[in-house]
Amino acid sequence: MEPSSRFESIQLNKATISFDDRFTLSEIDWTIEPHQHWVITGTNGSGKSALAAALAGVGNIEAGSVQGLPQNVGLVSFEAQAELIAKELKKDDADIMDVISLGTPVSEMIFEQCQDPELASELVEKFGLTTLLDRAFRKLSTGETRKVMLIRALASKPDLLILDEPFDGLDVDTLAMLQAHLASITDTVPMVMVLNRFDEMPDFITHIAYLNKERLEKNRGDKKRGDSGRLAFTVDREDEAAFNELYQLLHLKTTDLSLPEADPAAKLPALDPSQPLVKLTQATIQYGDTVIVDKLDWTIEHGQHWQLSGPNGSGKTCVLSLITGDHPQCYTNDIFVFGFQRGNGESIWQIKQFIGYVSTALQWEYRVSTSCKNVIISGFHDSIGVYTKSTDQQKKIADQWLELLGMQERADQPFNKLSYGDQRLLLIARAMVKHPPLLILDEPCLGLDDMNRQLVLALIEKICAGKETTVLYVNHHTEDKIKEIDNHLALEKNH
Amino acid sequence: MANYFNTLPLREQLAQLAKCRFMYSSEFADGVEALKGKKMVVIGCGAQGLNQGLNLRDSGLDVSYALRPEAIEQKRQSWKNASENGFVVGTYEELIPTADVVLNLTPDKQHTSVVTTVMPLMKEGACLSYSHGFNIVEEGMKVREDLTVIMVAPKCPGSEVRAEYVRGFGVPTLIAVHEANDPKGEGLALAKAYAVGTGGHKAGVLMSSFIAEVKSDLMGEQTILCGMLQTGSLLCFDKMIEEGIEPGYAAKLIQYGWENITEALKYGGVTNMLDRLSNPAKIKAFDLAEEMKDIMRPLYNKHQDDIMSGHFSHTMMEDWANDDANLHKWRAETAETNFEKTPAADVEITEQEYFDNGILMVAMVKAGVELAFETMTAAGIIAESAYYESLHETPLIANTIARKKLYEMNATISDTAEYGCYLYNHACVPLLADFMKGIKSDVIGKGLDLDDNGVDNARLIEVNDALRAHPVEAVGSVLRGHMADMKRIL
Repeated sequence: MEPSSRFESIQLNKATISFDDRFTLSEIDWTIEPHQHWVITGTNGSGKSALAAALAGVGNIEAGSVQGLPQNVGLVSFEAQAELIAKELKKDDADIMDVISLGTPVSEMIFEQCQDPELASELVEKFGLTTLLDRAFRKLSTGETRKVMLIRALASKPDLLILDEPFDGLDVDTLAMLQAHLASITDTVPMVMVLNRFDEMPDFITHIAYLNKERLEKNRGDKKRGDSGRLAFTVDREDEAAFNELYQLLHLKTTDLSLPEADPAAKLPALDPSQPLVKLTQATIQYGDTVIVDKLDWTIEHGQHWQLSGPNGSGKTCVLSLITGDHPQCYTNDIFVFGFQRGNGESIWQIKQFIGYVSTALQWEYRVSTSCKNVIISGFHDSIGVYTKSTDQQKKIADQWLELLGMQERADQPFNKLSYGDQRLLLIARAMVKHPPLLILDEPCLGLDDMNRQLVLALIEKICAGKETTVLYVNHHTEDKIKEIDNHLALEKNH
Repeated sequence: MANYFNTLPLREQLAQLAKCRFMYSSEFADGVEALKGKKMVVIGCGAQGLNQGLNLRDSGLDVSYALRPEAIEQKRQSWKNASENGFVVGTYEELIPTADVVLNLTPDKQHTSVVTTVMPLMKEGACLSYSHGFNIVEEGMKVREDLTVIMVAPKCPGSEVRAEYVRGFGVPTLIAVHEANDPKGEGLALAKAYAVGTGGHKAGVLMSSFIAEVKSDLMGEQTILCGMLQTGSLLCFDKMIEEGIEPGYAAKLIQYGWENITEALKYGGVTNMLDRLSNPAKIKAFDLAEEMKDIMRPLYNKHQDDIMSGHFSHTMMEDWANDDANLHKWRAETAETNFEKTPAADVEITEQEYFDNGILMVAMVKAGVELAFETMTAAGIIAESAYYESLHETPLIANTIARKKLYEMNATISDTAEYGCYLYNHACVPLLADFMKGIKSDVIGKGLDLDDNGVDNARLIEVNDALRAHPVEAVGSVLRGHMADMKRIL
């Protein structure tokens, strides 16, 4: 059956497209026919998201041509999600009026400019957002925000659907639901997906585009600098030999790793090994009448690594923020952490000094202009940005981490101009840099390509095997298991 | 109640006005020690109240919220703010008698009623904290002699106070002790600990006095901050319409223009704001500003004189007593202005275009900042205070205009600022009428239409020297330097 396509074909002819963060896609030759469904893949920082965004008209075409872009493009990406969240935050920001803004409700975000309210309602139901329609958008969890973005895109009757990492951050049930829905619309909407994980590629994908990163020589043209991405090759899925080759390329073995040392000058107060690291007793989190976490008992002993899982909105991030002290209701709960019974005069900085932490929320909050190296250094100070003097030793350790991540050349580049995946790598290093007694990794591999994911998983295994650090690990992907982690807490959705 | 400032001898008035110094980090070595284990009760759970409370609690301090019984019974927003964040909430009667420190974070206008209600409930020797000194200085509130009275005023909106703390930083903060109410001599220690508890010490603390804070704050807000931007918006818009500029474009240029040009002011003072213009445009803006300064100087003097004499607060309080009749009338008039009624067009204006096509706006900001600063310092207010209350806070109001235009800006600033803003505007619009007759779209709306950007060297040097030599630039570069030192990414 011929798809009822709404565009002829999209043609990029030797297109060089620049983006305002000094990134350039160079001389892209690419044709998308309306009956094709593409996956864009490649290394972190090679411009996968940029290429996808270019199909939505983002970027300046410096040379060559881009033709046939459809009018109505549905786009879901972390960048678009972050932008939407930033916009919502801005509404609550810089108010001289002394009031707390309540934010836009979810229902308005979904239905305000919706082309297909019937589908939107159906998806709201399927995604389990019905009870959240009146909630402020910015109060949603990471996964829930993602679902709102997906519904907005799917119900906009798009001519082309661009899904940049659509599956990241979704729980198993939602993932299956979304994949089934996408499979059911392949005849009506052509799709271009960015996927970092090869194993997530849906069966209906017909073609794969692989991007490579290259550094532009400074003297090769006067104004072009920074990184550039190239379309290395495309693969038709029916070409089995080419497909296997690509599969191998994406599963390179991680070499022997060694972790940079902790800062020898850092002196943490000693912890009593006979006391648990963390003890939550009947922990409850509640907004108005909505109970997010209900009477949770959880004890974490020294060296006892845990995996935490549960569907979107089951309160995983909330539970973790009770431990880190970022949740205001940590003061109304019975929480014992690192020798402190919370709410007895300790400051959050006394708590945070024991913790290394990475999450999607942290990545959104990390909105200060600072260099890549400083992002790693800020892990020594538990701050977003660096506001105190750092020692030479700390700088040296940060350099070692940059080298481990293969980012030494970008030490002084601004963090906020990096791709999502590269930012994520740096934040993981920031969390690990001080070899904290408790390392909290809330879906750390979101946005990482296959190679970097293996690197990070290997690092986590290494840390788990050592004696210094206890690891709390949240993930949805059954493949991303860490073999040293043998305790498992599964949260249920309460609301 | 009598105006407190007017009861002091001249010698003491001058000494109090001249108080303001940037404190060293080493002065905060005791951290929050002075407040450890003490009970802090916040009155008012708006953005400042809530966010300061969150910071103080995260610094290990004991914080709860006292609300009026109806706010609790009806589960109003303030009740929700406090209780959803896990704070203890109670009535004045329940909580105030237990408090070691009462943080009054209600709007100015409620201070007399709040403090009068709270004072009899406070325990012997406790501390009452303000974030603005109007009630003490202008209304002459007499606080019980055994109570310590301090002021801690973060110089940013509540949401930023929280956001910066969470990042591990803070916002610049002003502290003061009311010397007439410091029976145990512990006021400064408490104010410093409070500033540490909100993270302010990391971004820089200014030690000032109640009097310097009030007299400079009033002057700044009614002249350059709100008044000049209001008058400038109305005059520039009407001029652009007269000159045939598309109304939607004109509305956008003004609504977002103040924010864009004062962003340059925030980073590098008046000098940097003018450096964003081409050389011919810079000289033009300089000349326009000089001309306006001559015209407006008597008005700035009058505002400062009325503030110093207490005439301003006296007439405003009369209007308070008259159900805000004038305030509401003037507010309604703002809604009816052409600028307010014209929506911004959906056209793109680049950041640089706001400068190039808004030369007159740049000149107005320069004239207003410099005049406010000059007038304040001439009246005995020290340069540091004058800087914060003129240049430093202008971008904040500009930001509010960008988001809400004039009517909402006025409705959201304090009633005191709003009242003063209208007084200024009513006098300034006619004052600049003749000057505006000579204005064309080359300085507002279209930009200079020049074939080449050549200028006379000698004239350019003269203008650059004059810009950089202004005293607001000297103190500004020192203070911005302090802040940057603290914030610099090392």
